[in-house]
Amino acid sequence: MLKKTLAGRIRRWINRRLPRADRQTFTQKTIFILPTGAGVVFGLLLLIMLVTGINYQNSLIYLLVFLLGALFVAAMHQTHRNLSGLTLALVSAGEGEAGEGVPFRFRITSTTADSLALALSVADEQGRPGAVIEGVHVPAGETRDVTLTLPTARRGYVRPERVRIETRFPFGLLKAWSWLRPVSAGVAYPRPLPAPDTVSTVQETDNNDTPVRVAGQDEADLRPWREGDLTPRVMWKRYARTGQMVVADWQASGGSPHWLDFSAFPGADTELRLSYLAWQVRDRAAKGARFGLTLPGEVIDPDAGNPHALRCLHALAVWGQEKPRDDDAHVHGTRAGVDSAGAGRAA
Amino acid sequence: MIKALFTRKAACQGARTDTVLPGSALNWLLVSFAILLVPQWNRLPIWLIGACAGLAGWRWLAQTGRVRLPGRWLRVGIMLVLMAIYIATVRGHFSVDTASSFFVLAVGLKWLETRTQRDFYVVFFILVYLAAVNFLFRQDILWALMNFSAIGLLLAGLQTLNAPDLPPSARRGWKRLAGMVLKTLPVVILLFVFFPRMAPLWSVPMVSDQARTGLSDTMTPGDISSLAQNSERAFRVSFGGQVPAYRDRYWRGLILDYLDGETWRRREQDDFTRPGRIDLDGGVGELEPNQYDVLLEPTDRKWAFTLENSRAVSDNLVETPQALFEFRRPADTSVRYRMALEPSVRIVSGSPETLSSAQKRRYLQLPGEGNPQARALARELATQGSDEQVIRRLLERFREQEYYYTLRPPRMPENGIDRLLFEEKRGFCAHYAGAATFVYRAAGIPARVVTGYQGGEPGAGGEYLIVRQYDAHAWVEVWLEGRGWVRVDPTAAIAPDRIESGLRDAMAEEGSFLEDDPLSPQRYGDLPLVQWASLQLDRINYQWQRWVVGYQGQSQMDLMSRLPGGLGLKELGYLTAGIVGAALLFAGVISGWKRRGGPKQDRFRRLVAAWHRFCEQSGVPVRAGETPDFLAGRLARALPEVADTAASFARQVNRHYYSRPEGVATEQELRHLKHLLRTMKRQRRQRQTSSIRTRNP
Repeated sequence: MLKKTLAGRIRRWINRRLPRADRQTFTQKTIFILPTGAGVVFGLLLLIMLVTGINYQNSLIYLLVFLLGALFVAAMHQTHRNLSGLTLALVSAGEGEAGEGVPFRFRITSTTADSLALALSVADEQGRPGAVIEGVHVPAGETRDVTLTLPTARRGYVRPERVRIETRFPFGLLKAWSWLRPVSAGVAYPRPLPAPDTVSTVQETDNNDTPVRVAGQDEADLRPWREGDLTPRVMWKRYARTGQMVVADWQASGGSPHWLDFSAFPGADTELRLSYLAWQVRDRAAKGARFGLTLPGEVIDPDAGNPHALRCLHALAVWGQEKPRDDDAHVHGTRAGVDSAGAGRAA
Repeated sequence: MIKALFTRKAACQGARTDTVLPGSALNWLLVSFAILLVPQWNRLPIWLIGACAGLAGWRWLAQTGRVRLPGRWLRVGIMLVLMAIYIATVRGHFSVDTASSFFVLAVGLKWLETRTQRDFYVVFFILVYLAAVNFLFRQDILWALMNFSAIGLLLAGLQTLNAPDLPPSARRGWKRLAGMVLKTLPVVILLFVFFPRMAPLWSVPMVSDQARTGLSDTMTPGDISSLAQNSERAFRVSFGGQVPAYRDRYWRGLILDYLDGETWRRREQDDFTRPGRIDLDGGVGELEPNQYDVLLEPTDRKWAFTLENSRAVSDNLVETPQALFEFRRPADTSVRYRMALEPSVRIVSGSPETLSSAQKRRYLQLPGEGNPQARALARELATQGSDEQVIRRLLERFREQEYYYTLRPPRMPENGIDRLLFEEKRGFCAHYAGAATFVYRAAGIPARVVTGYQGGEPGAGGEYLIVRQYDAHAWVEVWLEGRGWVRVDPTAAIAPDRIESGLRDAMAEEGSFLEDDPLSPQRYGDLPLVQWASLQLDRINYQWQRWVVGYQGQSQMDLMSRLPGGLGLKELGYLTAGIVGAALLFAGVISGWKRRGGPKQDRFRRLVAAWHRFCEQSGVPVRAGETPDFLAGRLARALPEVADTAASFARQVNRHYYSRPEGVATEQELRHLKHLLRTMKRQRRQRQTSSIRTRNP
């Protein structure tokens, strides 16, 4: 309990120091530095050596201890300098498929000193190391781009709480680290699942108004139950009356195959529907077909081609979700444009 | 394309790769291990050196992929076998040597298990401590340099471990390390000088199995001649005033007053001494004209070597009733002591005016039988006059008859003195000193054998004398009524060269000088270059020993007493803490200043960065990849006052990017940009003050 509140307090303290931003230049204020496990052992070793030197009155052991101790401090300086002045920026928060990973592209710019052996990492939701890239070297005045692919299980907006940049160079006895807390979020598409063969309940209209939903059962043909039919479509009342399993088939209704419809899978839960739709989008796009997408509250007109497919997938991914907002008070700022930039890339 | 997008797997989610050791890092470790073993070569058992070489070689081959590392059971088997050998050879006997071979064994066994970063650090730590252990045994400057360079290799290895694939421009591990050492060197030196040299926290004897070359406390004819083949240094002396003539440089060490068959011994053995460390404080300050300062190599014995008529100046010596000097503990490291010469009528100071009857018996002691011819000779001499005449007669006999001084004496196992005096007539100083003492005692003159060194050659620059093992010597002291103990050296009668100029000249004809030691530079005294180089190295080592290795307690206090303030141990402690604190502060200030300053050649980038800061402060966060124009536009929306200035700033930046993206900005461009930035700041200030005014009319 106490540990939890302490951890929370530390997190809040760090968050105050590192406000959410897509770009962070690390300074003395934002770089944290501590000895690693090996560094602590090294300190103990120096202490033991000092005692040895005192007991044996050996000047050369004194000299060795002082030299190694001074080098330890110099290494602290060097490790700190490795990060100091470095700029880490989120260039693009990409889009990917749930279960596969969402690529985040970062740009590391070094100013005055070489920044060597940097490691970028993002923890996943459980706090375990999710994605790691090691051994990034940015010589003075140069820029490197790296892509971290964030694992994600669920569809929707993906925004790492913190991206950690760490270096242990030169000796691995000390680690200096800091965080980037990005504002922009990537998007994970629903994981595609092969959809049952259905058609949209949306009627093809010329003027592409809001889709007219049709009361399904009235228009439906009734046919005997076949294996593979969804249970919700069985007319259970009729079954109770007659003992026959009859299924309402919408095949014959006036629905159009051009429309991929959220409400075409009655009984399936929302996430499942979105997965079906994602599969359908992919399927249609691969065939080069024209198709439109209708979601509650959102309609995408029929079109063909990759940008259209990506737009549809994006819509599926973020349907019903709010864009992540800053969790801490923002001092300055217009954030408008960030969203449009993200959407622009997707389209 | 879309297919590619969907089928792309998340490829970069591999686990951290710290399970694989980069081969280059391992090589650094192996090389430094080899270097650290060299100073120990004559302490480690052969089997251990072989095992370490084998295990390290195995590890190296495994790294290159030629063989595989052993499996768990084989590893355990190797470990058990080597541990068993170690325990069998050590047999519960603990000394510094067994401890250090245990360290070496631990590293050797660890090689087969060095697979991860963690193992690398374990080996690193053990090797660093091994370097410290090496300093306990050898402190010469070359050995020290060897140890320090091994440490350097280890640190370079750590850099390789932490960044195995550095781009060529940054692959300057040595340079980086040297830079760090140079930057920290002032602090290291200050700490070395000012860190308080405390007394040992607890007593740790340095028990060593290692037999040291040097005089022993018994003398059987032949002992000293084996020492005569050794050119190791025994001690070095510097004089405050005139250096005594070669023939007067008799360094007394021990008195052997008991003849046990053929062997001369000391009647009084050393008392048991509590284990502990020798007192290293050998006096400080300038040498007085009558003083001299001896830097003795470790002997593991208590006795010190001094000229006749000396008095102890430093506190680490005590005088014995026989006018010899002893340390309180065996000299297990090199130790310095200071003596003063006292002009005296007597040859040997501290001689009693008369000998008590017990003492007379002691110095006339002879075995009950043996060497009848020598006894007969003594009886004959005794009838011919006073004690002094007897002494002179014997020396004349040595001088006039065909006695030879040789490093290749024949073996004389029984009645050795008779055979030496009447048959072989060939011997070494120990033979003649023993024989002369025997004859004098048989003639009724109290006599004793003195062993020590005689001679010493000047070191480079003539600042000090070097006395080597081959200067070991034995001579006789006789007690004369009214004069006390008087030195008599039969060797001087037989081979005056030995006393006048040393063993090399005395053996010039025989050619036996250092004949078993072809590598010793002293053997090639006739090659000036070899001699010069060897003496220069010795000089550096002498200064190193005196000022660095020997910088301990009293010498630190002496140095401090010359500085203003009169610093004691406690003050030194505060001072040390102050040095560390000041150094840390200084480093912090430097790094902060550097960060703000940045390099001079990139003033353009600094100006753009300053503009970005300005934007952030004005509530317009800068985004990655944004064009200057776009940023200026957003800034204009947030701060309408600066709109025009910001636009022209952005234009200027753009122009620079397009005209010379790589080039250095001209002075004019920079001045313009700077001016624009200042204007923006002023405009923002004006806006703030005006808004304050409107709020508080």
